[in-house]
Amino acid sequence: MNSFRHDASRTTVLTFQRTLGIAVACFVLLIAMNIPIIATAGEKLTVYSGRAERLIKPVLDDFTAKSGIQIELLSSGTTELVNRMKAEGDRCPADVFITNDAGSLEMARTAGLFRPLNMREVERAIPPQFRAADNSWIGLSGRFWIIVYNTTMVKPGQLQSLQDLADPMWKNKIAIPNAGSEYLQAGVSVIRASLGDDRTRKFLEGLRDNAGTQVYQKSSQIVDAVAKGQIAMGIVNHYYVYRHLATQPTAPLAVVMPDQQEGGMGAIMNVAGIGVLKHTPRMESAKLLVEFLVAQAGQKMFADLDKEYPLHPEVKADPALVERKSFRAALVPLTKLAELREPTMQLIEQVGMR
Amino acid sequence: MIAINRSSGSALQLAALTSAALILLPLGYVTALALSADPVVWYRLWSTRVPELLLNTVTLAGAVAALTLVLGVSTAWMVTRFEFPGRRIWEVALVLPLAMPTYVLAYVYNYLLGFGGPMEHLWQLVAGPQARIFSPQSFWGVTLVMALDTFPFVYLLTRSALLSFNVSFEEVARTCGASHFYTMFRVTLPLLRPSIVAGLALVILYVVSDFGAVSLLRYQTLTYAVFQQMTGRSDNQAASILSLLLVILALLFLLAERWFRQKSRFYQTTGRYRAPRRIQRSWPYTTALTACLATVVGLAFGIPAYLLVAWSVSPEAQAILDSRFFGFVWNSAVLSTLAATAAVLVGLPLAYLASRKPTWLNIGCLQAAYAGYVLPGPVAALAVLVLFLNVIPFFYGTVLVLIVAYVLHFLPAGLQSLEPSIQQITPNLEEVSRTLGLSIRETWRRVTLPLIRNGVIVAWVLVFLQTMKELPATLLLRPVGFDTLAIRVWLEASEEYYQLAAPSALLIVLVGLPALVLLLSRDWRAA
Repeated sequence: MNSFRHDASRTTVLTFQRTLGIAVACFVLLIAMNIPIIATAGEKLTVYSGRAERLIKPVLDDFTAKSGIQIELLSSGTTELVNRMKAEGDRCPADVFITNDAGSLEMARTAGLFRPLNMREVERAIPPQFRAADNSWIGLSGRFWIIVYNTTMVKPGQLQSLQDLADPMWKNKIAIPNAGSEYLQAGVSVIRASLGDDRTRKFLEGLRDNAGTQVYQKSSQIVDAVAKGQIAMGIVNHYYVYRHLATQPTAPLAVVMPDQQEGGMGAIMNVAGIGVLKHTPRMESAKLLVEFLVAQAGQKMFADLDKEYPLHPEVKADPALVERKSFRAALVPLTKLAELREPTMQLIEQVGMR
Repeated sequence: MIAINRSSGSALQLAALTSAALILLPLGYVTALALSADPVVWYRLWSTRVPELLLNTVTLAGAVAALTLVLGVSTAWMVTRFEFPGRRIWEVALVLPLAMPTYVLAYVYNYLLGFGGPMEHLWQLVAGPQARIFSPQSFWGVTLVMALDTFPFVYLLTRSALLSFNVSFEEVARTCGASHFYTMFRVTLPLLRPSIVAGLALVILYVVSDFGAVSLLRYQTLTYAVFQQMTGRSDNQAASILSLLLVILALLFLLAERWFRQKSRFYQTTGRYRAPRRIQRSWPYTTALTACLATVVGLAFGIPAYLLVAWSVSPEAQAILDSRFFGFVWNSAVLSTLAATAAVLVGLPLAYLASRKPTWLNIGCLQAAYAGYVLPGPVAALAVLVLFLNVIPFFYGTVLVLIVAYVLHFLPAGLQSLEPSIQQITPNLEEVSRTLGLSIRETWRRVTLPLIRNGVIVAWVLVFLQTMKELPATLLLRPVGFDTLAIRVWLEASEEYYQLAAPSALLIVLVGLPALVLLLSRDWRAA
């Protein structure tokens, strides 16, 4: 009896030790497995993307289907990813960076993260004002700041310019993106370059007061809130409105392409773009991806799926959108957005936007 | 100490010191970064964001504490003082909300209370078609969500205090002519105060360090601001300043609780102890009680769980249950396994040395490990991030960084189970084993480990499940291809794709239930 008990306890001890041993072994193995992610070879591209996964994954999936090159995607915040690439330096696992703000792309370029691309396909497809001077980054699709409003709450013609949004009559009626979002920062940079710091500050203060707590993390939330009538109007990138309308055609939404009046500064444009990282050993695959995205088929996907303005001159935007030729854009070069950024962020912070 | 000779002792010592350094270095680095900031940066933050953030954080903590006080104490009272059908079921059901991470509850309430949502429709039936209810993305919305999620802390502690309550105190009061109500407010509740305060302290720490609910409900607190500084501005210095303030705030709360507990200690002075009798009431009274409990459990767990299931079986959600989804499950499992194993390996030498060789050094190491308590997820992430960036950049962007952050964050949870299990075995056992000729290693293998096995397992499971739910550090530090279930819930929910977030959320809740069983089995007294 005694020896039996002894054996039983011994077995449990051994089992437990074995479990602990296995746990330690697994631990070491898993850590070992994960560190050399960097060294994975083969037909696989790693993409860091600052664009919403929903907007970029279908296009990348199509690329995989056509080329056989697998894509490993990390979707996160744009600024966060630029920081990350800087910090990771040569060990950065990414081959390609895609994001939604020319200013961030230009900042990545000046930080020396990208390798200039010398590709005829790019030069033929994308006009030079939508690329870096040395082709380190290439614009893929255009977007504009627009005012979206609920047609049951705002009458057409009440709004013409972004400046109108600072009017106290719109108190608690406006939804705006949060201060950390790159497209807000880029837009404010354009306003500063067009109107000067003083007028920009007044505008931002008015906007801050009118928005109150209606500060959103995602543009899609702003469009949703306006469509439901939770708030009367908001500032968003145009394509979120048209994506919403594509799924819910009866939503009471309308848009104003702002600042088109005589002497107005013009609509604020930004581009989503792509850059290839300097150290990538998979240059050929990366170039194939760039080629795919600037070609007519790729551009058409941005137009149809995402409702953006394609940058390829021969690809038509979705007919639901405001005809591109019917309005003008503000005259601030995209490459200037990077240098304008830091003082813009300081201004935004001083005004105390969330 | 016979069980520890010099060589193995110093090996253990080294392990403990390394563990403590692993915890303290990141913290020290953040503090240094914050203190070395230009006064201009401090001034800028003080004049713009800090007052609002401090006010928001403190008022939220206060309001949630007040609401959990009411909910927790009243529900504990109901299940301990009354007898009614189904009482035992309610007793357990009231703990269930703890399985629900705040971001899951927040996203469900975003829908429930949202503009044009079901609650508003109900309210409009009563109050007319134009009536509005408060928005979930407001102070009251966040308060409600956080209170529903955390009141079980107060409930649990109050309940066990009530169960061990000596009814003689109340009887004396009644004999002296005090009414029922007077007795309750002047005798019973004051005696329960230490337990209630301990529960509230847990609630407040939880609220102050929460990221999930405040980010989904867009309520600006210090924790959320740290995250925003890191992602939107790439300003690690400003983030570290806010982190420092946050840690100080959390420490203040903790110290206040300690002080308060010291001031109010109550002792049983006689050997006579009688538990109070449960009162049986007539059926209208019972119905009212059941309705109250059903409302609380329904709001905090029943309705959200039902919605998660309903959304999970919707065709939209079924469409995403592909190999990619199982990849996220796998990632969660791998990361949690790694973190749990690492935490146990780091925690064991710390706990062992502190109990076997309680020198000031060893106890200091152990106390350092508890620092994770006052370290919200984004701060832990920031600390690990700046340390790796500046000291060993080679590992930046790998799983290792993430694991270190998890260990830093969740080691206290593991230690709370490791420490008592080691303290409970007397050193005599090890000494006997050594006298009988077993080597140190053999003793450790055949005597110590088997005896502390349960504690180790519980610690492992607790860290595993905490990691499974973890959101902010994972968001900030995950390498390519390491999206977890929690990340998916947050990403989908922050764009209000309720159905798409549901399967991941449901899985997290289901996996969280065993953790509750474990937690409860330790000090649950069926009564």
